[in-house]
Amino acid sequence: MTVTQLSHVAMEMGVILLSNGAETYRVEESMHRICIALGAKEAEIFVVPTTIIISVTLEGEVPLTRTRRIHSRKIDLTKVSEINHLSRHICYEPTNYKDLLADIRRIDTIPSYPYYLHVLAFAFISQMFTLFFGGSLMDSCVGFLIGIGIKLQMDIMSRFEANVFFTNIVGGLIASTVAVTAAGLGLSTNMNTIIIGSIMTLVPGLAITNSIRDIIAGDYLSGLAKGVEALLIGAAIAAGVAVPLSLLRPFWGG
Amino acid sequence: MNYITPCLYAFGASLAFAIVFNIPRNKLLLSALGGMLGQLIYVVFQLVISNDVILYLLSTIAISLYAEVLARLTKSPTTIYLAVALIPLVPGGGIYYTMLYFINGEIDLGISTGIHTLLISGALAVGIIMVSSTVNLVRKVMLKSKTKIRKKFKYGKNT
Repeated sequence: MTVTQLSHVAMEMGVILLSNGAETYRVEESMHRICIALGAKEAEIFVVPTTIIISVTLEGEVPLTRTRRIHSRKIDLTKVSEINHLSRHICYEPTNYKDLLADIRRIDTIPSYPYYLHVLAFAFISQMFTLFFGGSLMDSCVGFLIGIGIKLQMDIMSRFEANVFFTNIVGGLIASTVAVTAAGLGLSTNMNTIIIGSIMTLVPGLAITNSIRDIIAGDYLSGLAKGVEALLIGAAIAAGVAVPLSLLRPFWGG
Repeated sequence: MNYITPCLYAFGASLAFAIVFNIPRNKLLLSALGGMLGQLIYVVFQLVISNDVILYLLSTIAISLYAEVLARLTKSPTTIYLAVALIPLVPGGGIYYTMLYFINGEIDLGISTGIHTLLISGALAVGIIMVSSTVNLVRKVMLKSKTKIRKKFKYGKNT
């Protein structure tokens, strides 16, 4: 395998890992493992949440450096898990370039769950958390509707490439507007529970987990970046919820 | 019944979150069980301990252990189990009430609730850090002792 092919394979796998929600240290470790397993003498990899830099040296050849900027990130842990399997597999069994590329392409095109299931999942999260925080059945049905609304809103906003914070502000806005309205119409008695339950759909669970795990692994740069992202998302949700609450309260008296 | 229903709700919510995170089909149930486990530990220890920061710490330790063990057993990343199980423990209510007190002008209550929420988030972080650092340490010690035994065996064969 030439140095170009080797760095290409490692880079493709790293990009799939990073853009689908793996921790930064996992991306670095897997890419390093792959390079060494495929016969590199030295491999230096630097990863932050938006960029991958890889520099590979083969025995008796000039080192090669590649950079890739990651523009869009989504969460698809199936792909992370599959690439993880593949990188372990490479270490035990020798493979050639073509097979590896085919494997990577297969993993990259694994379909995620169908869209309606995602919408239902959002609605279900919202409903379950409303019940979890002590809401009645009627409250949870309002939560169900809010969940659907938030998912649709997030998709529309992401189609226009709105930033994460604005998306979350609008999400919080929808949650509290619907909850305050439902309380005003007499559909429910405790709008606080509905709001708390439905903003749980926006909670950046993966960002929190990844930031803590990156910091433990010694990757302070990425860990802090993810942690700040999680904090800002939390602040955005609170800001979005606060606006209708303070504006609509005098009218509905909730 | 009061103790079981929150666990069931946490299970349902975790299952839905597992779908949102696109977790592989055969690991959906296992990861959702983690969310239920965290709540179960919380509810059980509530009978003994009244400080909820410590309760959150205990639940986080339980789910991190669960996630680390299952990740080793099923040979998949720990995040798959940890991220999903952690979500029911995230203090959403704390964030909301902090904000609510502030916009109602009750600054004192807002600050005390905010600090309480921060403490809970700290407990979550400390729980994860404690478990995964310990697991890493144990793994490294075991690896080292394994290679030592192997070396001894080799030398024994040679001589």
